[in-house]
Amino acid sequence: MASGYMASWYEGLVEEARLAALTLLDRAEDLASPTLRLGITGLSRAGKTVFTTALVHALTRGGRLPVFEAMHEGRIARAVLEPQPDDAVPRFAYESHLDTLMLERRWPESTRRISELRLAIDYAPARGGRRTLTLDIVDYPGEWLLDLPLLDQRFADFAATSLRLAREPARQALAAPFLAALAQVDPAAPAEEGEARRLAALFTDYLAACRAEEVAMSLLPPGRFLMPGDLEGSPALTFAPLDLPEGAEPPAGSLAAMMARRFEAYRERIVRPFFRDHFARLDRQIVLIDVLAALNAGPAALADLEAALDGILAAFRTGRNSWLGSLFRHRIDRVLFAATKADHLHHTSHDRLEAILRRLVERALARASDAGAEIDVVALAAVRATREASVKRGRSELPAIIGVPEAGQYDAADFDGMAEAAVFPGDLPEHPGALFDPGRGGFRGLTDATGGDFRFLRFRPPLVERNAEGRVLPLPHIRLDRALQFLLGDRLR
Amino acid sequence: MTRDTDRPTPGPSAAGHAEGFRARDGRRPQAFRLDDPDVVLAEEGLAVRRGAVVVTPAPVLPEPEEELPLPPSPPEGSRWAALFWTGLGGLVSMGLGLAVWKLIEDLFARSDWLGWTATGFAALLVVAALAILGRELFGLMRLKTLNRLRLAAARALLHDDRREAEGVVAELMTLSKGVPRLFRARSELSGHLGEIIDGADLVRLAERHLMAPLDAEATKLVADAAKRVSVVTAVSPRAAVDLVFVLLTAVSLVRRLALLYGGRPGALGMFRLFRQVVAHLAVTGGMAAGDSLIQQVVGHGLAAKLSARLGEGVVNGLLTARLGLAAIEVTRPLPFAALKPPALADVASGFITRAEKKDAPNRPD
Repeated sequence: MASGYMASWYEGLVEEARLAALTLLDRAEDLASPTLRLGITGLSRAGKTVFTTALVHALTRGGRLPVFEAMHEGRIARAVLEPQPDDAVPRFAYESHLDTLMLERRWPESTRRISELRLAIDYAPARGGRRTLTLDIVDYPGEWLLDLPLLDQRFADFAATSLRLAREPARQALAAPFLAALAQVDPAAPAEEGEARRLAALFTDYLAACRAEEVAMSLLPPGRFLMPGDLEGSPALTFAPLDLPEGAEPPAGSLAAMMARRFEAYRERIVRPFFRDHFARLDRQIVLIDVLAALNAGPAALADLEAALDGILAAFRTGRNSWLGSLFRHRIDRVLFAATKADHLHHTSHDRLEAILRRLVERALARASDAGAEIDVVALAAVRATREASVKRGRSELPAIIGVPEAGQYDAADFDGMAEAAVFPGDLPEHPGALFDPGRGGFRGLTDATGGDFRFLRFRPPLVERNAEGRVLPLPHIRLDRALQFLLGDRLR
Repeated sequence: MTRDTDRPTPGPSAAGHAEGFRARDGRRPQAFRLDDPDVVLAEEGLAVRRGAVVVTPAPVLPEPEEELPLPPSPPEGSRWAALFWTGLGGLVSMGLGLAVWKLIEDLFARSDWLGWTATGFAALLVVAALAILGRELFGLMRLKTLNRLRLAAARALLHDDRREAEGVVAELMTLSKGVPRLFRARSELSGHLGEIIDGADLVRLAERHLMAPLDAEATKLVADAAKRVSVVTAVSPRAAVDLVFVLLTAVSLVRRLALLYGGRPGALGMFRLFRQVVAHLAVTGGMAAGDSLIQQVVGHGLAAKLSARLGEGVVNGLLTARLGLAAIEVTRPLPFAALKPPALADVASGFITRAEKKDAPNRPD
């Protein structure tokens, strides 16, 4: 296998050289006009689109951002949308998302593919003068990050890992149809397209079932199976893991060989270009995480989220830019983990939410601070949909939130999407360890027969407020300014 | 009936889950529709029936109208003055009691390089002196410009003259170029300049944009100075000490206000500015008759009898506050038109309330 080893070593070298060349090109452009590439990602339903829309809205409209120094000190003159640099990447549909949010009071459609937006920020450095910072916002599904570990895997590794996951107790019931079909398939049999399609469809169904609200699993590679974009139905997405005998090469022309070939195509044609053209060029990254959904669903979902985050975090090439190294190699030097939808909680629980998130990304925190990257954790709501209240019932008093719940939510047929309701979602534990400790029972999710310990409802976006002159006021938020300060503050000094 | 999204609140049976954190709280998720007849909003102020669920919305904090005043920036040290003192210090240290020229000659007689060094220091002295002179002149000219600008703005306001107003705003924009925190305000304003706005409105617009943040800071400067003076006067052991302190505070206050509003006063400029301030004080009168504070001051006559030091502190503080307000009017490049000038109550409230609190127990009923 020496030749194979040499070949992959050579390929790796070529890949590195390509990356270095791209970086050099970026740096040259940077000299002409300083540019910052901000990646916004998160697993689906974490609120990427809302966050991006709110961020652009706050910057262009000059929202209430007291913690964002440059804005508060009045040093940002304006921020305007500009034509984006990459012609082959779709533009983030900011205007239509904003209309959906403000006029229709609906949450915008979720991110299904990568999109970009370019903002030019005119500002005055604290010591005077005038500068322009170009901010490129790259919004992409977090599921794609889960694919990055596949770059180092062969089909056999992938099949073993994903089948092990599918046979875990929390997933076994959902994976039953796929596993049953798999049991009747002989990997060494001659390849047949119909068989491959059937298996791939069952595999995709299983992955999709894991995403339902009651289960809320997160670690579901390959990411494009759930977010196919324009690749739907192409052979690169028509494969599934197989039970392969240990160590044996599949015979040529067999089903296993075809699946392996397609897996390689997926890796080389889909995952690698994404890594090279987009991910490896980022400077700053925010990872949005919907911790509350996992709490809704139960301990298995939380454990799964932790595993998924670990996978995501392994992908970051974090580390401070050294002077020479930065010429040839991009490194993300700041990563912010944000627990979104903090407005679904009373503010007294925000610190606890942050503690839970910190516990989830603990391993990554240790690894990245070794590498020199700055990492922070925040509980935020890019658009705040609720206000706070306290509810007194008999002698007990509950910290609650008031908002308009969306119609037709699980187990809550009472909500018509019009009436306001005061909601007490449950108490977050003081010490996050209590959630992760299976020995003490952990907590109960919605799948539990006795009902969940938490119930976070989805709320409709807030009513648009206008001031006396009828001008639309900036959208309310929670700690969006802190996130901006962390991600952009040092570049606007 | 309240409708719970989930199961109803647990009865005693829920106590079976003794593990984990929930044993501590035992509170289950619940939801209440606000239009439910059993749910009462506390803000309606109705008598609450037994068994009803009371929802008290958290008070919505009013958005601050204006941004918080920024911390005052420290006055920057002057490089030329430093050079001046370097040069002078160099000379003085080289020959106390010798005439400079003689000293240099003597030094040349001793060795050439010593002589040249002395010459160098002398040259430094001359250069620095020239530079300082230039700065003084520049400061005076800037003072004149500001005075002229104020007059022109007042005229534009009076006659609603667009051309004069445009001139004023353009000049104001150039003046404020050195202030980074006005960058946003400036560019917003320049966006408005293309629109059709009448002369007086234009001046008012410029005032709102460019002066509002500076006014807030100026008010804070004056209030701080007044408070400091009143405290120091109240606790200082000797009259001479607080006299010196009041004078120093007044001078530095006027200087900082001038700097804030774009003036660059040197020594001569300060002298002239101070004269203007005092003249302004004389014109407006030490105390405005309509000021509600006057009763307080009369009241403090009583306080002064009881505690002379405290009364003096209040009076000195009030004086400083007055002086500061006059200085604002004199140093501000625009007259107050769109914005309200800070009143004595704005800058003096800090130490008046403090004094009142302090002497409340002394007050005879």
